[in-house]
Amino acid sequence: MDARATTMTAGPDGRAEALVASYERAGYARVTPAILQPAEPFLDLSGEDIRKRMYLTTAPGGEEFCLRPDLTIPVSRDYLASPAAGRPAGFSYLGTVFRHRTDQPAEFLQAGIESFGRTDKAAADAEMLSLALEATAHYGLTAPDVGTGDVALFAALLAGLDLPSAWKRRLIKDFNRKGNLAQDLDRLVLGGSSARPEYQGVLAALAGSDPKGAHALVTDLLSIAGINAVGGRSVGEIADRFLEQSALGAGARLPGDVRGLIERFLAISGDPDQAAAALRALAADANMTGALGPALDLFESRTGFLAARGVDLKRMKFSTAFGRGFDYYTGFVFELTDPSRVGDPLAAGGRYDGLLTRLGAREPIPAVGLAVWIERLALYGAAP
Amino acid sequence: MTGSLVLAVPAKGRLQENAEAFFARAGLNLVKPRGARDYRGAIAGLDGVEVAYISASEITAQLASGAVHLGVTGEDLVREMMPDADKRVVLIEGLGFGFANVVVAVPQAWIDVRTMADIDDVATAFRLHHGRKMRVATKYINLTRDFFSSHGIIDYRIVESSGATEGAPGAGTAELIVDITTTGNTLVANGLKIVDDGTILRSQANLVAARTANWGARERETARVILDRIAAQARARAFREVRARFAACDTALVHNAKRQFGVATPFGGPTSSGMLTLHCPPGQVYALTSFLRENGAEAVAVADLDYVFARDNPLYAKLEAGL
Repeated sequence: MDARATTMTAGPDGRAEALVASYERAGYARVTPAILQPAEPFLDLSGEDIRKRMYLTTAPGGEEFCLRPDLTIPVSRDYLASPAAGRPAGFSYLGTVFRHRTDQPAEFLQAGIESFGRTDKAAADAEMLSLALEATAHYGLTAPDVGTGDVALFAALLAGLDLPSAWKRRLIKDFNRKGNLAQDLDRLVLGGSSARPEYQGVLAALAGSDPKGAHALVTDLLSIAGINAVGGRSVGEIADRFLEQSALGAGARLPGDVRGLIERFLAISGDPDQAAAALRALAADANMTGALGPALDLFESRTGFLAARGVDLKRMKFSTAFGRGFDYYTGFVFELTDPSRVGDPLAAGGRYDGLLTRLGAREPIPAVGLAVWIERLALYGAAP
Repeated sequence: MTGSLVLAVPAKGRLQENAEAFFARAGLNLVKPRGARDYRGAIAGLDGVEVAYISASEITAQLASGAVHLGVTGEDLVREMMPDADKRVVLIEGLGFGFANVVVAVPQAWIDVRTMADIDDVATAFRLHHGRKMRVATKYINLTRDFFSSHGIIDYRIVESSGATEGAPGAGTAELIVDITTTGNTLVANGLKIVDDGTILRSQANLVAARTANWGARERETARVILDRIAAQARARAFREVRARFAACDTALVHNAKRQFGVATPFGGPTSSGMLTLHCPPGQVYALTSFLRENGAEAVAVADLDYVFARDNPLYAKLEAGL
């Protein structure tokens, strides 16, 4: 076992307490969620990969628990279980989180904010970034690098493209998870990735036929074989996807101009005004002003709120590709880093409008938040 | 016992029989001086070795912690139980038994699924459709996670299964499985099929050395002797000895034989009287004898080899490089 995993953390010094007190004054009620959390929501939302970084334990009854690896999910769950669920509410916290890290202590302090239910999204986004900047300034780091992205833009681009839904699903997933986006684009452009020699004839024969009849045929064939539902997928689902593959056809390929468009989109970066101009130009060239319009309007409105809060826009680095690999974000994302050090963020946050639904909320609840790494700020920042 | 080298051998079943047979072929007879039920043994005629009979997964754990020096265990267990296997152990040699593949298998009814890319797509669609993630039953949690991750698959959950994993999809406790298979028959009997590019690992029993065990001079010397005999036996198994004597036998002909049949000349080229000894891969023996006769050999003798000792000891060199 790594001895550092059990090293005592430095504990919050006065500055961390003062920081959270300022969040409380700004209207974010301080909360202290349980340290021991059910593991399921974390594994479900962040994927199996997080398992190797989590400290898991099993109750005698078999339920899995973990030491909380972040506070966003615990705060969200407590909010959903409270009478305030569904209504606008803001929370702040300061506490330990636990993640296995190879060369840093596994137990460390995070402070942060979660804001639920605000429908003025552009203003709420801008407020999170400006509160994050206040946090680094609180520790004497007044000019951090500010990286930002907006994952809603990629979603809007794909939604506006004339592509089979299976491909959209795949490209969105690749984008969200730092997946093999370039590789998948290559494969789709070359075509033939779904070549299925043994079924090709059947698929070709079904391709032009009445979809309902084809679906009935495949369902019947599976039923004749005595197969109803195996492994949790219904015969209907299997038939649907089988026919979807036939619609794609073994020879189907992504048109070269679509690929060019996606690549041009992902290459856009700069300060928010430059990026907005480039995105508007791309939308106009691709005849997609309708598809990208709402996401771009929100983007520009957010930029306006940031400027109004006195954030120096010229120092912000926006990139359409930023935010790839972040777990559950759906819109604006940001990360503050120390310009003299590589990698580790001082503060990070963003919008995760889908999270509360996935945690069981009946209605979608907009959500945006931020987290700051207390020890890192104390170490990199000016002495108190 | 300080100075003793601890060799861990599977405690029961086919693995134990195969491991004992393997060492016996190398002239290393495992004995239990205190009776068959004893879990401690020795190697006949070789001092300084303690044989520990323990279960295969326990062997892997003890290799990881350095509690034993050498052990026989499956590569599947090594890769699964030690995320940092290359830091902890040296896989010295595949032993030629205990073959098994760790594979991804899905219900045969999934006629739309043939590749890992299909599984990726199905997984994402499954989550959107059912509001939960597809479940993968397995005891190979780490291998599964790394393999799925390398294919970019994220929308799945692992369900730990310690036995009869192939029954999980039928029982409704998982959608697909990752399990070990030798012939694939059990998978087929349970209505499952292996995904085309879903072979995670081709495993066999391995002789494994623990890098963190206490390797003093005596343990090293004992290991060198054991590995020397194993290497001699392995080399002997890889060749047949082919002998002939004929006047036309010259360096050019030997060169030709090397190129065509992959033969080795353990004792150098032909003698002045045309006497030649070759070591030939078993599959090439007949072709080689025809070739020699066509070139003038009257008679060619072929024999099995028991041991071929050479000055170098490649297995020990591998161990030493890893310590």
